[in-house]
Amino acid sequence: MRLASISLRNLRIRAVASGLTALAIVVATGLYAAILMMAEQTEERYKGSVGGFGAVVGPKDASQLEIVLNTIFNIGDAPGLIKLSACRDIRANRVGGRRTPVHYAIPQARGDSVSSYNFPVVATIDEMFSKFKRGGSTLPFAEGRAFEFSWDDLIELGKGLAAWETDRRTGEDTGAERPLLNDKIRECVIGHRVKQKLGLGLGDVVTPVHGKAGEPGAHDHPEAACKIVGILAPTNSPLDSTIFLPLGTHLLIDGHEGGVFLVDVPAGKNPDSVKNDPVNVWQIGLTAVLVDPKDHFGAQFLRTSFQRRPDAQVSWPATIVPAFLRDIGNVAEALMIVAWLVLFGAGLSISAVIYNTMNERRREIAIMRSLGARRTQIFAIIVLEAGLLSFLGSLLGVIVCHFAALGLGELVEDRTGVYLEWLQFGLWELWLVLGVTGIGAIAGLLPAVKGSLTQVGDSLAQSY
Amino acid sequence: MIRLRDVVKSYRQGDREVVACAVDALEIGAGEQVALIGRSGTGKTTLLHILAGILKPDRGEVEVVGQRVDELSEGARDCHRGRHIGMVYQTFNLLQPFTAVENVLLGALFGKGAGGGAKLRAVDLLERVGLADRMHHRPSELSVGQVQRVAICRALINDPELVLMDEPLGNQDKTTGNQVLDLLLQIASDDNKTVVMVTHDPESAARMQRTVDLATLRADLEPTGAGGEA
Repeated sequence: MRLASISLRNLRIRAVASGLTALAIVVATGLYAAILMMAEQTEERYKGSVGGFGAVVGPKDASQLEIVLNTIFNIGDAPGLIKLSACRDIRANRVGGRRTPVHYAIPQARGDSVSSYNFPVVATIDEMFSKFKRGGSTLPFAEGRAFEFSWDDLIELGKGLAAWETDRRTGEDTGAERPLLNDKIRECVIGHRVKQKLGLGLGDVVTPVHGKAGEPGAHDHPEAACKIVGILAPTNSPLDSTIFLPLGTHLLIDGHEGGVFLVDVPAGKNPDSVKNDPVNVWQIGLTAVLVDPKDHFGAQFLRTSFQRRPDAQVSWPATIVPAFLRDIGNVAEALMIVAWLVLFGAGLSISAVIYNTMNERRREIAIMRSLGARRTQIFAIIVLEAGLLSFLGSLLGVIVCHFAALGLGELVEDRTGVYLEWLQFGLWELWLVLGVTGIGAIAGLLPAVKGSLTQVGDSLAQSY
Repeated sequence: MIRLRDVVKSYRQGDREVVACAVDALEIGAGEQVALIGRSGTGKTTLLHILAGILKPDRGEVEVVGQRVDELSEGARDCHRGRHIGMVYQTFNLLQPFTAVENVLLGALFGKGAGGGAKLRAVDLLERVGLADRMHHRPSELSVGQVQRVAICRALINDPELVLMDEPLGNQDKTTGNQVLDLLLQIASDDNKTVVMVTHDPESAARMQRTVDLATLRADLEPTGAGGEA
């Protein structure tokens, strides 16, 4: 028998009032924990995900944030297209007539997805697995290998496709034939989460969906169904939720013909006026180019060169992401103020609920006093009661928060690109529980003072 | 064991000061079993509370179990009560949410401590009063006689030198009351405990070794005529 067991028993006697008060604490703590968890994991994932993405080249008419969010974090639709020529110029280490040495410039095109999870399909070349580096090393494979589709393969296929497209547009017949999809390029590499969620393995086939499953206009591309030849090891980044397939496959998907090539429309002219113009391989449209400048000067030159370029711009994730996180942080702080207010309300509620029971508990307190209980012990029992209620409520709040992360993780990932790891616990959660327990104990001070001042003789006399 | 000299306790009632209890002199020896009688309003319960240290007299000397309780602070009186005095009330005053054994242990918690052998002692006491199969029942699940026996066990859990009882049989039928009183007096006698019992019942009073009419302890009040001496 301990003082705490008396406090616990008191909470059980008033189960409904205790439960409702605890619920307020659960909500407040859960809200607070959810905000902190989101903020912490968002920051962690975002910071951890930008590795390797030194610079991202994207369309000029999009914002740099849009380009970064879509390319690195799979958020939103691709904000536009840039020509393959931009990638060519970067790969040639020369943009706008200046030397811009890079380790790699990897073209990407996206827009399709897989399954109801809407895992994004990213069409690219094999350098994504041989040159792209995160934390100093290439993407690790858990199983299998990369697909084989090089820059040269892209150019060769693109040239053939451009010749066929030119014939189609101009009405000439040079005998060019549309390259065909074949098993060599119908291969793909999937991320760790794709494997986990869809239960896929090597040799299984994934079929891209145009757009997002369930949205108007979405349809399967069975002709581009790709065999899985590689599964990436977990990276704890949006790469885990990505399906990589050869850019050639993307270009040859039925219905992509019209949008594969970008044709400039002269100012003041109707788009129809260029619909019969010939096209070339460098007009192939990409959603982004991943670039890793070799040195600081290269980065500077890349920046200034693209400022003058009309068709594309370069985004710097290392600058954009922290600014974005600051904005998220501001929102999180605003939400935390709300959570504090709810917590404050819950504290007042504890105080009121326990205070209101003091009159009916006068006899019980007087009995304990008559048994030899000191005022300090009565005080401790009531403060413990408030503290216990807060402790249990806050603990439950944190647990609810983690289960909410489990249940709503996919929705959050879809909206923010951040996969919430529901089993990831932080030291701050311990402090949160202790802090809320402390607040609850403080809320119990007023009723504790009232309880400890109970007059034994009067209160016992009332019971006769 | 108990020695009172010139004790007065009064309350304010509006502009008036009402003397609730006044004792010129009273001595009770160790192991004595004493009945305190008197008309309503003579201050029997107040005197019991003064002896227990729940109330502090306005003046006078109160020595209980070798300690001048009138000179102690409230906290020290609480400690003294918890360690040396067991109390039994007319309404039993068990805490409803707790089982019989837990109620007994509450006495230990606020007395000499509920750790160590306290639970064994509580079980032993409950067995001695015939409640071995009722230990884990709540008071609402027990008969009046059983509840009173639990209250007696609670009063005895700290092995106190003094047991104070305030109309302990008032809520029971005579047979049950007598059985409970027999039991308590037997235990008290076995363990040489001092017992002071407030009662209105002359029969119960007659079973104690000595009867003290509170009115005889005050010069300003007439004796009730129920016998006894100071």
